[in-house]
Amino acid sequence: MIMKKKNKNQTSPVFNNRMYFFLIPALTFFLVFWIYPLLQLFYYSVTDFNGINYDYDFVGFKNYVKVFHNGTLINSMKNTIVYAAVTVVLSNLIGLGIAMALNTKIHLKGFFRTCAYFPALFSAIVVGFIWSYVYMPSSGMIASLVSLLGGDGAGFNPLGDYKIALFAIALVEVWRGFGTTMIIYLAGLQTVDDSLLEAGRIDGCSEWQLTKKIKLPLIAPTITINVILSVINGLKAFDNSFIMTNGGPGKSTKTLMFQVYETAFTDQKMGRASAFSVLAFAFIILITVIMLYFMNKREVEL
Amino acid sequence: MKLKKILSLALAGTMMAATFAACGEDQTKAEEETTEVVEEATTEEAASAGDEETYDHQAIEKAGDITITMMVSGTAAENDFETEVLPKLINEKWPNVTLEVTKLPDDNYYTSLKTKLASGECPDIILTQPMYAGQNSCYSMAEAGYLVPLNDLDCVKGRHDMAAVTYNGDVVTATCSVSILGTYYNKDLFEQVGITSEPKTWDEFLEDCQKLQDAGIQPIVMGDKDQYVLQFGLYQIAANEIYPKNADYDTQLRTGDTSFTDKDTWDKVLEMYGTLYERGYIDASKSLGMGAAQAIQAFIDGEAAMTFDGSFNAPAILASGAAGDFARGYFPIPSTSGEQYTATCLAGGESIYSGSEYIDECKEILDYWMDGSSPVWEASLASGKVIATYGNGADEIENYDLFAPFVSLMNKGNGFYWCNQAWPAGTETEMEALFSEMIGGQGTTVEDITQGMQDKFEDLLED
Repeated sequence: MIMKKKNKNQTSPVFNNRMYFFLIPALTFFLVFWIYPLLQLFYYSVTDFNGINYDYDFVGFKNYVKVFHNGTLINSMKNTIVYAAVTVVLSNLIGLGIAMALNTKIHLKGFFRTCAYFPALFSAIVVGFIWSYVYMPSSGMIASLVSLLGGDGAGFNPLGDYKIALFAIALVEVWRGFGTTMIIYLAGLQTVDDSLLEAGRIDGCSEWQLTKKIKLPLIAPTITINVILSVINGLKAFDNSFIMTNGGPGKSTKTLMFQVYETAFTDQKMGRASAFSVLAFAFIILITVIMLYFMNKREVEL
Repeated sequence: MKLKKILSLALAGTMMAATFAACGEDQTKAEEETTEVVEEATTEEAASAGDEETYDHQAIEKAGDITITMMVSGTAAENDFETEVLPKLINEKWPNVTLEVTKLPDDNYYTSLKTKLASGECPDIILTQPMYAGQNSCYSMAEAGYLVPLNDLDCVKGRHDMAAVTYNGDVVTATCSVSILGTYYNKDLFEQVGITSEPKTWDEFLEDCQKLQDAGIQPIVMGDKDQYVLQFGLYQIAANEIYPKNADYDTQLRTGDTSFTDKDTWDKVLEMYGTLYERGYIDASKSLGMGAAQAIQAFIDGEAAMTFDGSFNAPAILASGAAGDFARGYFPIPSTSGEQYTATCLAGGESIYSGSEYIDECKEILDYWMDGSSPVWEASLASGKVIATYGNGADEIENYDLFAPFVSLMNKGNGFYWCNQAWPAGTETEMEALFSEMIGGQGTTVEDITQGMQDKFEDLLED
């Protein structure tokens, strides 16, 4: 019995019990700045707090019911999914394509890599303003180019068109984000062992076959990371809607986060915005977990 | 593992407790309050309320060395009135007083204000807006008990135009300026197509637009990508078509006696404004992709003959552009009847935080500022941002000729507040979004818009 008890208390000589004390600062930080605000968010979501008056009342799950009932959740969720799908697909395809091109032996490789990453260095505000002028009807950069080439530049108005405004702001996000994606792919591609590629070539593989059969399977974990990061980023979209279209025209570019902002600060319904945030949080977690599950499964298959 | 389990159980427990505690609280109280109508004071009450009261005028002299804080919204310019001139003049008048002014862009201001109010660290003097306008609306802040009654200010006593900043009988914002919505126009382009005078009726206005269009000139430019600019035209038409017939329209919206869906009210306003888009006087295919600043640039570049905007944007609209320094005029959108009205109302002003240690000192400063003759008053007029509601040298301000007809109309009783001042914040954004859908060809009708506004209004009032 004595021996058994002794075994139970035995700890690693590297990480003994006293080491747990060193967790306290990080744990405190985590609890105060992450868990506590999260609980507060949940707490406010069942109140009618307006952001100013602290004499609020508890309203149960009324805010959640309202969010579902008034249609804002569905509209913003639909817009967010479209936005995320466009950004995930394009930024990964472009990022991967450019990473592959810049992983070959070409002149000025460093310069091209810097150029490709350059847009990622700008803040969302700067990018938003630049692209507002690029997209401006009649005298914007694209409209002027179209006119110069003999097209109808005056009719070019992507941010004012209900059908394409969401795609237009998603493209801006792709432009800003593909550099980061490319850097991660580049890092992944550099881990592919040259001897495997050499062996493939000796066996008569074409470049496409080398990519499909060797490179892509070997960078599968990189693809998972990039796709998951892009999905999370896409589902949290706010900047471009806020800066470039303010949710318009109409409600066509209102994303989940934009709707949370508008509910909290324009409608002054902090309680309802909190309910919205809780639902958005759950939605993002759900999508991410599902994606992660399938991507990991696919990694193993590859 | 054990620690993990305990932690997760504790967290789950806390969440559950929060939920049930919340559900168990007095929910009926909230429901009762949904029907409660805030009692705003009439101008008479407001004026009479403060006639007998006074505050300690010696407080500021006796206070010793003190620092008074102030926070306003906006963007600080060179030799800015609030951040540079005002502190200097206050310190010259009272060497023992240091006025520290923070000026933040609108969104930052709102966030900062809420945070500071929540933490009890609000500046002594803050900028607030009339009625329910914006996130710093004086009514919602007064309702929460954050504002000091200012009935005893000398600059407030005897005034009969303070209803929009009077909550439950107390003036809570000191303001002596107005904000105007109107139509800026390019006189040269008007003359070019033979328009010799400003239109006096809605039909004349449409005729003028047609003349401009026929001459190949874009009649009106708007930056509808920033949807708030839709208010600039709509509120002018509402001032013509709704409030002259029923000045209590918005108060009655809250009691349920009127509705946005009532015939010949907002349906008429929206139809009239929609006509400008239907006929191409405002080109929706361009305006929906153009921001407010871009539209102003297009106007000063001579690309359009008119734009609807406010007095607050006068410096940008009166600047020189690609079309040079052409002559500009400003008129209210005319009514169908020909009677002139204007969407001119009290502008935002300064309020004193109820938790301030220096309430009487702040009052003294506001009185000095708005006394109509002090160096601070003159400096505020000289800043060009203030259009005074009453005399005291107001006619000497820059561009006064442009704004004087509007102030006269207001003084005559033909000025009405901007609609959103009386609505719970968020109603106007619903109106803008739905109107944008209509002009963007999404099949949204005028009836959809009025119904949407009514639904949103009721929803926002509910809590």
